[in-house]
Amino acid sequence: MQPKRAIMMHPQDNVATALEEIGAGENVAVPLADGSLALTAAEAIPFGFKIAVQEIPQGEIIRKYGETIGRASSAIAKGAMVHIHNLEGTRARGDLGTGGRR
Amino acid sequence: MSFWGYVRSDDSVGTRNHVLVIPQGIIAKSVCDFVAGTKTILTVDHGSGRTANDREQIARVLTGLGRNPNVASVIVHAASPGVGYPELRAERLADEIAAGGKRVELLDPAKDGGTYGAITKGIQLARRMVYEASTLRREKVEDAHLCIGVKCGYSDTTSGIAGNPAVGYLYDKIVAGGGTALFGETTEIIGAEQALVGRAATPEVAGKLLRAVTVQEDRAKATGLDIRTVNPVPSNIKGGISSLEEKSLGAIHKAGSAPVQGVLQYAERPPRKGLYFVDNWMGHLSIFAGYAAAGANVVLFQLGGGGVTGRTLLEGSPSVVAPFLWATANPLTYAAAADSIDFYSGTVIEGSETPEEAGERLYRTVIDIASGTMTRSETLHYTDPIDMYLQEPRF
Repeated sequence: MQPKRAIMMHPQDNVATALEEIGAGENVAVPLADGSLALTAAEAIPFGFKIAVQEIPQGEIIRKYGETIGRASSAIAKGAMVHIHNLEGTRARGDLGTGGRR
Repeated sequence: MSFWGYVRSDDSVGTRNHVLVIPQGIIAKSVCDFVAGTKTILTVDHGSGRTANDREQIARVLTGLGRNPNVASVIVHAASPGVGYPELRAERLADEIAAGGKRVELLDPAKDGGTYGAITKGIQLARRMVYEASTLRREKVEDAHLCIGVKCGYSDTTSGIAGNPAVGYLYDKIVAGGGTALFGETTEIIGAEQALVGRAATPEVAGKLLRAVTVQEDRAKATGLDIRTVNPVPSNIKGGISSLEEKSLGAIHKAGSAPVQGVLQYAERPPRKGLYFVDNWMGHLSIFAGYAAAGANVVLFQLGGGGVTGRTLLEGSPSVVAPFLWATANPLTYAAAADSIDFYSGTVIEGSETPEEAGERLYRTVIDIASGTMTRSETLHYTDPIDMYLQEPRF
């Protein structure tokens, strides 16, 4: 079976975006400048959602477009989905007490 | 490249040829119901109980819409509840619009036989004005006369991958052709501001960009809330966007890669051509009226839609005088609402086009629409009220 497609927006990214619905256990190919990165989806990744292209330890910066989109709120396995359950934004966070009324 | 537009006396060029009746209210609505070719606005905010700054903002929206090149001539009436304030007096609004060189007529119920009399006079005037407007012919003009405003909304990850990059290509092309391109949504550049600051035309512009972000981020923090409970909005999260930063980094692709020439306030007219950031709020009922008041003769909504796939009819334009395009890169959104959508760039995701090829197609679509092809939303009578971006408390 053809591997499912996902795209990395920048070579430094640690996540890729699913370009189609990916089922749990399915093979995923992420095109790179030199070849292609092969992944196995650890769980279902819906169209447009992110998949970790490498293991991401808790607290590590998560990068897309070559920029910071947040940090890992828990350890993320390679091939796992990355979304609000394991990624937290760090900007404009009134709840973190930096200038907010707690 | 060029498009076919209506050349106005101040050398601006319209993509449409409306007679505008403002402000909102029964006189404006009655005249527009009766006379073909007219437009008015819908809004609940007429300035009553508003601070001087906000009243000035309302005046800027009204005069800006009147001065928009898509407007051939204007009727201003003096029956609005806000008209008692100096900023919102009908004569003042009329004078400022007329200073741009177009015909402006005034209706005053106190002099024109009350509300009924003003409506009658307005209908008679408007019939002559739309007839007069119809005698103008489109002429071939340079792209430098395009002024476009954009927002991305119901964003999902297709917006950042394909939809916004196609718009970015369009923006670069319009700016390279000497035209004007407006983008904004201050909350949605938080986390992406460094990329924009690096493109600021001058250090002063860089400082203004950073200040706009700081003010907005401080406001967000002062609420004590986790911004993720507010923005990204639920449809963004359902569409795969996980944080405000991710949304912002995808969103700024729509601004292309040209230098940022300045930071404008809501409804502020750009002083020169080129790419401008507008310090505004994302709401589509707000932002497009601001762009049109700043002189945009075309506006574009780049739709993600991943979170709202049940929408099979995308409703009409709040922008009043600027033709309003829907674009999307989401195949599911397009499949659901194809007859509402003017431009589809999901081809980039499907692998049949590059972002540049899709952007070139978008550019041609915009040129066609600027030249008179209807937008899908123009095929509906439905319009939403505009929500002017006013930031001070009401009393």
